[in-house]
Amino acid sequence: MKVTVRLIAAVLAAAIATPLAAATIEARVTDPRGNPVRDAVVYAIPDGRPLPLAKKSAVMDQKNRMFIPHVLPVQVGTAVRFPNSDDIRHQVYSFSPAKTFQLPLYAGTPATPLVFDKAGVVVLGCNIHDQMSAFIIVVDTPYFDKTAADGRASLGGLESGRYTLHVWYPDMRTEPQPQNVTLKSDERMTVSFVGHGRS
Amino acid sequence: MAVRSFQARLLYLLIAILVLLDAGTLISVYFAGQRTLRNTVTEQLRVGSRVLNRILDTRARQLSDSLRVLALDFAFREAVASADVPTITSVLANHGSRIAADAVVLVQLDGIVTADTLGGRLSRKPFPFAGLLRDAQNRGEASATVSFANRPYQFVIVPVLAPRPIAWVCAGFEIDDRVLTDVRRLTSLDISIWSGSAGSPLAPDESKYATLFEPLPTGDGSRVNALLARDLEEAQKPFRKLELQIFALSTIVLIVAVFAAVIFARSVSQPLRVLAEGAGRVERGDYVTPIVVQQEDEIGHLATAFNQMQSAIATREDEIRYQATHDALTGLPNRTLFLDRLSYAIAGAKRNVGSPVGPSVGMIMMDVDRFKEINDTLGHQVGDQLLIDIGRRLEHTLRQSDTVARLGGDEFAVMFTAPTFKHAEDVAARIVGAFDAPIILGDVSIDVNASLGIALYPAHADDAGTLMRHADIAMYDAKREHSGIAVYEPGRDEHTLRRLSLIMDLRQAITRDELELYFQPKADVESERVVHAEALVRWNHPRHGVMRPDEFIPLAEQSGKIGLITKWVIRKAIAQCAEWRRDGLDLTIAVNLSALDLFDSELPIFISGLLTEARLPPASLVLEITESAVMKDAAFAQKMLADLKRRGVCLAIDDFGTGYSSLAHLKRLPVDELKIDKSFVLNLSESAADDLVIVRSTIELGHNMGLVVIAEGVETAESWAILKRLGCDMAQGYFMTKPLPAEAFKAWLRASSWGN
Repeated sequence: MKVTVRLIAAVLAAAIATPLAAATIEARVTDPRGNPVRDAVVYAIPDGRPLPLAKKSAVMDQKNRMFIPHVLPVQVGTAVRFPNSDDIRHQVYSFSPAKTFQLPLYAGTPATPLVFDKAGVVVLGCNIHDQMSAFIIVVDTPYFDKTAADGRASLGGLESGRYTLHVWYPDMRTEPQPQNVTLKSDERMTVSFVGHGRS
Repeated sequence: MAVRSFQARLLYLLIAILVLLDAGTLISVYFAGQRTLRNTVTEQLRVGSRVLNRILDTRARQLSDSLRVLALDFAFREAVASADVPTITSVLANHGSRIAADAVVLVQLDGIVTADTLGGRLSRKPFPFAGLLRDAQNRGEASATVSFANRPYQFVIVPVLAPRPIAWVCAGFEIDDRVLTDVRRLTSLDISIWSGSAGSPLAPDESKYATLFEPLPTGDGSRVNALLARDLEEAQKPFRKLELQIFALSTIVLIVAVFAAVIFARSVSQPLRVLAEGAGRVERGDYVTPIVVQQEDEIGHLATAFNQMQSAIATREDEIRYQATHDALTGLPNRTLFLDRLSYAIAGAKRNVGSPVGPSVGMIMMDVDRFKEINDTLGHQVGDQLLIDIGRRLEHTLRQSDTVARLGGDEFAVMFTAPTFKHAEDVAARIVGAFDAPIILGDVSIDVNASLGIALYPAHADDAGTLMRHADIAMYDAKREHSGIAVYEPGRDEHTLRRLSLIMDLRQAITRDELELYFQPKADVESERVVHAEALVRWNHPRHGVMRPDEFIPLAEQSGKIGLITKWVIRKAIAQCAEWRRDGLDLTIAVNLSALDLFDSELPIFISGLLTEARLPPASLVLEITESAVMKDAAFAQKMLADLKRRGVCLAIDDFGTGYSSLAHLKRLPVDELKIDKSFVLNLSESAADDLVIVRSTIELGHNMGLVVIAEGVETAESWAILKRLGCDMAQGYFMTKPLPAEAFKAWLRASSWGN
């Protein structure tokens, strides 16, 4: 519950910081049969503009021998903590090139969070619970969102300008073609992606 | 022999059936065994193939499991994730050896080989078993049998999870002897597995092994073959044993069965042999010894039936023997038994040459006179009864030890011991005496007269047959001489034999046309012209030549043929007479009748018929009857002659003067002529006073009785002259001519002065 509250607080803080004149992208991700894809990460990378590293933090909880959330999008530079909410120990690891690490068997919350400073997909596993897996999507932009059960995601507070829109989700076979969009101020743009692979 | 062969046949049959049964069993067991063996071996090979596949499957699963566990090893995954090829290669070798893999390959998710334990042979190239990889991508993991480095391998492939797949690790295991040993142990088959298209390295002898070639399913289309082989010798072992047991069992059963068959066959044939022996005893005439068979079955019944049959045969044989040896009418011994006893008695006499009784056997042959007449006039019943009574009287007359037999018809025979002729004659006299009293049958009184012929052993014959024949001859003598009793005269035998053969020949004389008529003229003394011709029969005997009537007529009379001959003569004579009359020779024909002819009551009708047929006046036929014939049965003869006379036939008394007929008797006879016997005429001369007196007296006597007198035997002119002087009416004899055949007679008559 505490994590959820913090998450909401973070989202609210971001919304407040966004200028009023910002544009919004409404994305919808479906599979080829038109079914909405859940937990798809939609992110927009502004063309040619360097973005400051985020000094943000995120949480990848472990509860009931599951990683929560299953998909966690974060901006490069985000520090992610890996609390253990189970009464058994976990040994979290990743062999992904974006972030290779392992947290030896532990209970509770490790003292230091891990900073994800390289864009890419980090696949998480637990060395003693083979069925546990989760994804931390490290993107080089603050503009990202994760689709809900209806396959919709909303990217708000974007400045006007050109962006490349990307989509990633865990079981996709190939990444859907990124889309180049140009946003005007206050524009509310609707974008659709049709993914290949399981939703 | 037949019994033995029956037993043998029964035995052979039983043994043959048993052998066939055994052979059939063995053959069917053999073929069933072979079929089962084939099926079993085929099934074993199929099972072997399944077992092989199952073992390979199981092994693949086990290897997969091992590899999966290996791929989850954190250090392994860490090494794989390191992307450092030498590290990866070493971890592949290290961990591969844990599961005894022969080859380990790490494949990227995109199908390119990262590293291998084969010295980098496959590295940085597409994974060679693309199908296996595709299978794994679809199902998460895969295994397959493949041909690798020309060896049969099993390859398994599993993902390396972190925890998402980051690569594929593939391990290869050669299918080596350990696998094959497992299969061999489980299936008792020989097996070889090889890759490539080459032939099996096992190459078993087809005659000793049943094989199954089995291409194994491979993951990449390469060829991996298995050859399963079953040692037939080994497989046949249980069947061989079974066959041997059945053969042994069959043989034992066969031996036992043969013994049983022998015992059974013997139990059937043994009593049959006893029966056959019993039947043989019956055949030899033993009707006393019974057949003993201690069985209650059909054979026992058969033995009982045999014994009953035996006694029935004995009874019937006694009856038959009695019938064969006894006369049915009188119950007396018959000819067979008489001859038998006579032979026996003669044989006994021969042995007892020195005995006081003397070595002598006598027999009497007896014939009842005029029995035929009695039979004809009084009927057969009376005749039969008479024969019975005669037999009875004979038996009463004789001693118990003597034999009386009826030989047939009215012929009886008596056998007795006769030391002397006198004794034999006494017996004969006693027999004659026995018939002094007439036999009374109902209201008929019959005087029995018999002719007895006596013959004695050893005086007249040396054996029974001859003795009987001689007694027979003596009997005929007695009959002919009316003496009642006659003793055999030695030397009559030859005559008798000739007579008997002539009697035989006489039967065929008429049918063979051996008889011929001769004619002798009878001339009227006064006119010296031939007026009558006497027909005389001649027998042209094929061996004895021409025989005169006095040589064979008595035989014909004895043998009952005289009637036929008389009728033949009458028919011929009448025909000749008719012919002559047509030729202008007006002659009266004379025919001689036998004494026996006078008893043929049909004769007058016969003669009348012929005369009518020939259209001759009855008076043209003269029947000549001897004086003695007339005297035999005067009453009957008189009746007969009267009948003939009534029919207009002329009658003459022949041979007058030789019989003893009384004049009174003669007077009653309806005769026309009197023929003086030639014995008085032959030597007739003026000097022979006796004959002259007799002839003259006879002529006068005849004339006084109103008869025509005829003289026979006129041979000289002197006798002719005397007869003429004495007034004899007619004469015949050699003075005119001897008897001539018809043609010669006619020619003579035409030529001589006697003709007219």
